[in-house]
Amino acid sequence: MALESRYDAIVAGAGHNGLTAAAYMARAGMNVLVVEKNGWIGGAAVSRSLHEGWTYSNCSYVCSLLRREIARDLDLPKYGLQVIPYEGGASFTRDGDHFAYYSDHNALRREMARHSARDADAYRAYSQAIMRQCRFIRPFLLRDAPDPASLRPRDLGELAYLVKKAHGLGSRELGETLKFWTMSIGDFLDEHFENGLIKAHLAGSGIIGTGLGVYSPGTAYVLLHHYMGDIDGGIGAWGFARGGMGAISNAIAASFKDHGGTIHTGAGVEKILSKDGRVQGVALEDGKVFYAPVVASNMDIKRTIQHHVDTTDLPHDFTKAVNNFKIRGSSAKLNISLDQFPDFPAAPEHTSFLRGDMHVSESLFELERAYDDWKDGRWSEKPYIDMLIPSQIDPTMAPTGAHMMTVFVQYAPYDLNVDGTRSADNWTDAQRNAMADTVLNQISVACPDIRDRVVHMEVRSPLEIEREVGLTEGNIFQGELTFDQLFFNRPVPGWSQYSLPIKGLYLCGSSAHPGGGVMGAPGANAARAILRHETRHGRMKGYAA
Amino acid sequence: MSNFDAIVVGGGINGLVAGAVLGRKGKKVCIIERADRFGGMASYAVDGGPSLAHALYNLSPRALKDAGIDVDRATFTGQQIDTVSLADDGNHIVFKANGVYWNDGSQHPQSKAWCELIQRFKTYGGLLRQLAEAPPPGGHSASLSRARLAEMLRLAKVGIGLKMLGKSEMRRFLQVVLSNVYDIVLDDLPDGPVAGMLAADAIRGAATGPRSPGTVFNLIYRLGHGGTITQPTGGMTAVVDTLVDGAKAADCTLLPGTEVSRILVDLDAVTGVQTADGQTLRAPLVLSNLASPLTSQLTGPSLFDIEATRRIRNIRARGTAAKVNLRLKDASPLPGLKSEQKDARLIYAPSADYVEAAFNPAKYREMSKAPVIEALRTEQPDGSHWVSAIVQYAPSDLDGGWTQEAQDRLAQITVDTLDCALPGLREQITDTQVITPDQIATATGAPGGHWHHAEMSLDQLLTLRPANGISRYAFGPKGLFLCGAATHPGGDVMGLAGRNAALMALEVQK
Repeated sequence: MALESRYDAIVAGAGHNGLTAAAYMARAGMNVLVVEKNGWIGGAAVSRSLHEGWTYSNCSYVCSLLRREIARDLDLPKYGLQVIPYEGGASFTRDGDHFAYYSDHNALRREMARHSARDADAYRAYSQAIMRQCRFIRPFLLRDAPDPASLRPRDLGELAYLVKKAHGLGSRELGETLKFWTMSIGDFLDEHFENGLIKAHLAGSGIIGTGLGVYSPGTAYVLLHHYMGDIDGGIGAWGFARGGMGAISNAIAASFKDHGGTIHTGAGVEKILSKDGRVQGVALEDGKVFYAPVVASNMDIKRTIQHHVDTTDLPHDFTKAVNNFKIRGSSAKLNISLDQFPDFPAAPEHTSFLRGDMHVSESLFELERAYDDWKDGRWSEKPYIDMLIPSQIDPTMAPTGAHMMTVFVQYAPYDLNVDGTRSADNWTDAQRNAMADTVLNQISVACPDIRDRVVHMEVRSPLEIEREVGLTEGNIFQGELTFDQLFFNRPVPGWSQYSLPIKGLYLCGSSAHPGGGVMGAPGANAARAILRHETRHGRMKGYAA
Repeated sequence: MSNFDAIVVGGGINGLVAGAVLGRKGKKVCIIERADRFGGMASYAVDGGPSLAHALYNLSPRALKDAGIDVDRATFTGQQIDTVSLADDGNHIVFKANGVYWNDGSQHPQSKAWCELIQRFKTYGGLLRQLAEAPPPGGHSASLSRARLAEMLRLAKVGIGLKMLGKSEMRRFLQVVLSNVYDIVLDDLPDGPVAGMLAADAIRGAATGPRSPGTVFNLIYRLGHGGTITQPTGGMTAVVDTLVDGAKAADCTLLPGTEVSRILVDLDAVTGVQTADGQTLRAPLVLSNLASPLTSQLTGPSLFDIEATRRIRNIRARGTAAKVNLRLKDASPLPGLKSEQKDARLIYAPSADYVEAAFNPAKYREMSKAPVIEALRTEQPDGSHWVSAIVQYAPSDLDGGWTQEAQDRLAQITVDTLDCALPGLREQITDTQVITPDQIATATGAPGGHWHHAEMSLDQLLTLRPANGISRYAFGPKGLFLCGAATHPGGDVMGLAGRNAALMALEVQK
């Protein structure tokens, strides 16, 4: 489609949230342009073929959080999205044992009892507690976070909704909820379970993507953040998008284009243009300039404000809060092409749990120590790994007989400490390879032959993730998920409802409420805010003609 | 057999205040203390050494007033002291009420930022104090009852106070109060001894590190009563004596050296207590200054449903602060300090990162090899001179236990650390005393030897303190109340928990 010079709205960044915001706006009749710096779309929800025959979901790798309301509104299945749930998972130990997580309740119970009869009994109370929290939080994901300092009817309405929901829990459950939201996943698990391996297996979701340890308060919420999704109504279930995570972005993009949207790739936003406190459009790195009364940034708040906006006229409080926004790189990624299925000596033959998420951490202390390494600016000596082999379920990911393995690694610092100096520049090829070696050692706890199976391996330090995807420090959530950066505090107090101090400029990425994950909620919420504001003020009229 | 209107089990700060408050309301009160002297953890000391608590900063005028004690007594006003953040290079930093200075008296470049931060925290602390001076919200009073209306009014006052901050400050408050001290301090200050001092104050007595979310709250809590640090005239013993006098003036019967072996319950209501020496004391009201697990042991666990038992068991109270007292050979000043700093509160925390690193081993049940220290020079009534040091982290559940060897190691680490910043101190020390968290636990009954009887983390505060469902002081059978540091608002030598509990007991009894 030929490019025009004027649009009703421009979205900066073709991540899944940017595309979601764009698709909603296009469906509402707006003429929308999405611009993307890379030659491909998807941001961190992307499938890339970096070694012939294999497809990598080279950033995000599994799907659960994508709001079904969004999938429905945008007809994503029609545009090719298929999400296949996987079942089970396992944690392997150095002494050759394992703990298998089955989705079949009885099988799981038997397996837990093998490690601890008491924990098998405790699991029911644990999963009920988590499920109650999931049910409580889910309605808030596609609503605005109220500004507690505001007396506007909308904020009071949202606040009333929150109070009503909280009141509806009853005082006992409200107390449990407050406690859950403020405690650490380590303490929460210690309250329920006694077996270290079981606790370590369950704790991973509490730290993925954050700069916190399993005993840092607030990590129970992070676990919830990973459990509040669903697949086909199965709350907490995870799955693979057929064709890799890029299939999600591609389906949203197809839906967007089908409703008249335009995507321009290969040139990022150089500057978001504004005049007299009102956004004008964007100037791209390739010199092109596009005009629109609305610009939605899919970039994180730091990148948007610090690098692409003229900050001279912005309120000092706001820019200071943005500068202080915490967005810490804590994870790395290995994507591996395997010549054949690796051997898992500890696993029974033909078991289902190898199709799930596999780990090798044996205790909460081990996970906490991994965090301590990161605080010092080193990658963990024994990192937490979340590894999956999606090609077992999705044949499109690797040639017949061969497999693709995705390994999420935590913790890895952005500003690597080498001889006492912390800098992202320390991420040399040698350092990256040394980290990969540490990770391969971890993997070999589960499959000792892993090194013989590797055909090709992509190693992504936080620096690579930042450079390629544009996520500051390579933080997968576009900002820490701590309580001081959640809900009405996300991204910064007073600006939690997608608009920014420049009129017409909006934030539609994971820096905004409700935060990261391939959820689409920030994008959908931002689109709703844009449609509400910009149509009410009548600015759309001239452009719609 | 004696009859009372109310019995207070445990004569710590909160027990004494609770007894005095009840006594002043006309109740016939008996305060029972296992040890021979009152004061609990505040005045606990061994062999003539300095007491566990060595300075006042959070004593509540409201609690004192309700206990009938003159707030302006010389004991409490005592001597206001500065804080000195020690540096290994001798370039110590002095914190005064009006700013931060170098050792030579010149102003420190971070003075303004520090003052602004402290001022902000004090404002927040003042707001939160309104919540501390009342039971946590909740309860089951009817929606139009006086109690409920009073509570609504109180909350409305806090809300208005928040509004009065202005929109932007109110928003900032709601962010900062949930944040971690490491980030909030380093947003405004470079890491170094100034940031280290704030980080150290935020984690003192807690099983947490400055990077843990929620630690800003601990700092705000410390500053809730203005943040002035006082070394009371006559030491902590004098403070306790004053409270004991207050209880006596309120006609309380004091029974030191008496151990309660059982809280008596009949038909789900308390009837009194039984002491280890066989006495039975009757009262329809029992306030326990002990932590909740001990209290439930005294009543017998059968009075609590399984949910309450589970919650009580899960209350986190892991003491991480040990007391190390260094006896000095004479009155000569500490090396490296100016004469006006001789009584100052000394902090060893060169940076916020240092404090976080000190916390790491404690997570794995090890002691810090490079600890965070708060030290004060004191003179005991017998004329002996000491450095009274609170050393973190020294976890109560030390791997291998607190053997003599472990205690010696802690003393050694403490002396080594202080000697680095105050070279020559080592030569002045003639003797060391180590009081580990597990000794504190044994001596005072505080679980894990924890200052606050229960960790002051966001998931154990306000309506969740000490645990969900038992936050409003009433505990199990009718007539039994908790009044110790494990209850809202928490510990420190503050007295509000005892005062709130007493008022709550009176209200419920009505």
